[in-house]
Amino acid sequence: MRQWLVAVVLWSLGGLGLAQTVTVGLDADPPNLDPMLSSALVDRQVQNQIYDKLVDLDENLRIVPMLATSWRVEENGTVYVFTLRQGVKFHDGTDFNAETVKFNLDRYRSTPGSRRAGELSLINNVQVVNPTTVRVTLKEPFAPFLAILSDRSGMMVSPTAVQRLGAEFSNNPVGTGPFKFVERRRQDRIVLARNENYWQRGFPRIEQLVYRPFPDDDVRVANLLSGAVNIITPVAAKDLAAIRNNANLVVNNFPGIGYQGIWLNHTKGPFTNKALRQAFAATIDRDVVDRVVFLGTALPSNGPFPPGTLAHDKSIAVPKRDLALARQKLAEGGRPQGFSFTLTIAPGPVLAQLAQVYQAMAAEAGIQVRIEQVEFGTLLDRAAKLELEAVAVGWSGRPDPDGNIYDFVRCKAANNYSGYCNPRVDSLLNRARTVRLPEARRDLYSQITKIIQEDLPYIYVYHPQTTIGLSRRLSGIPVIPDGILRFRGASLGGQ
Amino acid sequence: MFLFVLRRLIGGLPTLLLVTVMVFALTRILPGDPARLLLGEEATPELVAQIREELGLNRPILVQYADWLWGLVQGDLGRSIRGNEQVALIIWQKLPTTLELSFFSLLVAILIGLPAGVLAALRRNTAADASVTVLALSGISIPNFFLGILLIYLFSVRLAWIPPSGYVEPWVDLQKNLLLMLMPAITLGTALAGAIARFTRNSMLEVLSQDYVRTARAKGLEGRVVVYKHALRNAAIPVVTVIGLQLGGLLGGAVVTEQVFSIPGFGRLLVDSVFNRDFPVLQAVVLISALAVFLINVLTDLLYAAIDPRIRYH
Repeated sequence: MRQWLVAVVLWSLGGLGLAQTVTVGLDADPPNLDPMLSSALVDRQVQNQIYDKLVDLDENLRIVPMLATSWRVEENGTVYVFTLRQGVKFHDGTDFNAETVKFNLDRYRSTPGSRRAGELSLINNVQVVNPTTVRVTLKEPFAPFLAILSDRSGMMVSPTAVQRLGAEFSNNPVGTGPFKFVERRRQDRIVLARNENYWQRGFPRIEQLVYRPFPDDDVRVANLLSGAVNIITPVAAKDLAAIRNNANLVVNNFPGIGYQGIWLNHTKGPFTNKALRQAFAATIDRDVVDRVVFLGTALPSNGPFPPGTLAHDKSIAVPKRDLALARQKLAEGGRPQGFSFTLTIAPGPVLAQLAQVYQAMAAEAGIQVRIEQVEFGTLLDRAAKLELEAVAVGWSGRPDPDGNIYDFVRCKAANNYSGYCNPRVDSLLNRARTVRLPEARRDLYSQITKIIQEDLPYIYVYHPQTTIGLSRRLSGIPVIPDGILRFRGASLGGQ
Repeated sequence: MFLFVLRRLIGGLPTLLLVTVMVFALTRILPGDPARLLLGEEATPELVAQIREELGLNRPILVQYADWLWGLVQGDLGRSIRGNEQVALIIWQKLPTTLELSFFSLLVAILIGLPAGVLAALRRNTAADASVTVLALSGISIPNFFLGILLIYLFSVRLAWIPPSGYVEPWVDLQKNLLLMLMPAITLGTALAGAIARFTRNSMLEVLSQDYVRTARAKGLEGRVVVYKHALRNAAIPVVTVIGLQLGGLLGGAVVTEQVFSIPGFGRLLVDSVFNRDFPVLQAVVLISALAVFLINVLTDLLYAAIDPRIRYH
């Protein structure tokens, strides 16, 4: 019986002998492969292989050339002139040039329902100067502009394919990237093949890239351990040991650019009282959170800007747990015996554990935390309507600091779930957008961070890092803090 | 017979209409706004409003229902909110996978459950009988996700005999397809096997105590002929009923099993469409599941006649 089984397995593995295929395990099935309609983070994992962007990020989050080989900023930061790479073709044979850049930027900013329209709303017009030069005029200086083009808004899709396929484009994406779309089966796999005519000679090295979604952490890690996939992202903290103990596998940490923490509602419940906000915030021990819940894979946070990003200010300390201060603030807030509030979280074992850690810490100062689990869509809806007292929602992060704060703490901003409004913060935020000198921007963001640490619309608790697990044979994947795996230079050794 | 089938099918229409009302009402009671979930991090109030408008979610609910029903009558299931694909196409891609999984699970269940039940009845009150009872109860009681993960750890991670999860269409690679189906079919089939074993045992015991069995034995017929020719056939009717009823339950088990083994079938589709509030997909999946259970019931009735000549439909 056993011999028979082994024979069956060997026989079937014969069919797997596809050389140089890398299989990637994701935590979700990417919903939409059209950058214009994409709003899920996981989409970008696949999109980054199919589409090139005008610019890319390097390991230090600096903007580097991609389809744009260079750029000039003119007229006090309101005009960007891009020089484009020559001889690049889309997968369907269409030439890449200034016309196609104009087509893409105009499509993103003016198609109804475009998810990109918001971040490109400051574009006034896009002009074709000559086939390799594009001139983009902004309504006002906007420092984050290049960083935005390093993500989905800078992805170039084939105009021919968009015009030919219409609504079906998202199921048949065409770009200039290192890999071409082959097929997808929802909830099962997305198959990409090497772009033989890629503009960067000698790349990509592998022949095929297969993405498979495994929503369950246990199943995802089991697939890595058994060798059925070569790389998984992300790895749950509890599974790190299993991967580290396997001689064929390694764990890589990607420093993150996002943050996680707690919104405190300034318009409802106990947190209308500033002293009570400060009391609760003082009970949180960020190091314990990191050690207990994330086994050392998260970074304690001092604000919206993680270490390694432009606006991070080392001189602003990570707030320490201080129970004496908490009690003092409780007295100041008129509730010396403590108070209680409801913390709303989305379902999930890690989030629940995290909430329980907060609960235990607050209890020591006499603050009772009731934990309420609400399904994610409802949670966002109620948070946006300011119906919740406190809610744990984080942000995946953007390479430019503006993307981590502008839409969050500004008066009436789209993602301001605290109802916080401080004209001084607003004016600093707007100034930081128009200043281009990095030192000057950092200084403005430091001022904002300090005000927020005091006012507490949000308690920044930690910066998540992306942990990936991969086969030792797989190499050539750069560690870029946006957490996107780039397979252009990846190779599979040992075959 | 033909008339009977026709009558049953027409009789089912009001039930299915009721299902459409219920599924529509239930999806709309679900908290969570599809537009918000669709937009995720990027949501701004204006964009949410725009998407709701685009999806027709701000129209009166009765209008939405009538619209959906009208589409249904014309054979149009709509487009997925999440992926913007034709719902009919998605269903068409997923259904065969789950049918295959159900088929193999049923096969596993019958191959294990039927002999085990017969054995237990023939060796009544022996160690064999007790073991079958214990195993049957375990089969029914062990949750699918637990057994599934257990199998993956044993056969994929520890022994590395079988890939842990995934799916390959049989026409692409039949061997791989069968290999990948093995663990899910066992996971899903064991619960049903337990039920079948218990019902077969009880039914067999009852039949074996009947006069005609005694008569057959008294005539000097061989034990095997008595058991397989006379007793089993008569014992089969309640067992077929149970299998028919449990097939509907297979779909529920498939939801979990497909999740564990990453099989892109109906169950995964159901879970994902609930989480994403992908109403058109969710409605179609529930409706087609209801239709499947209904058809299985008709089929079960027809099977009775095939097994027992005394039963005739007019």
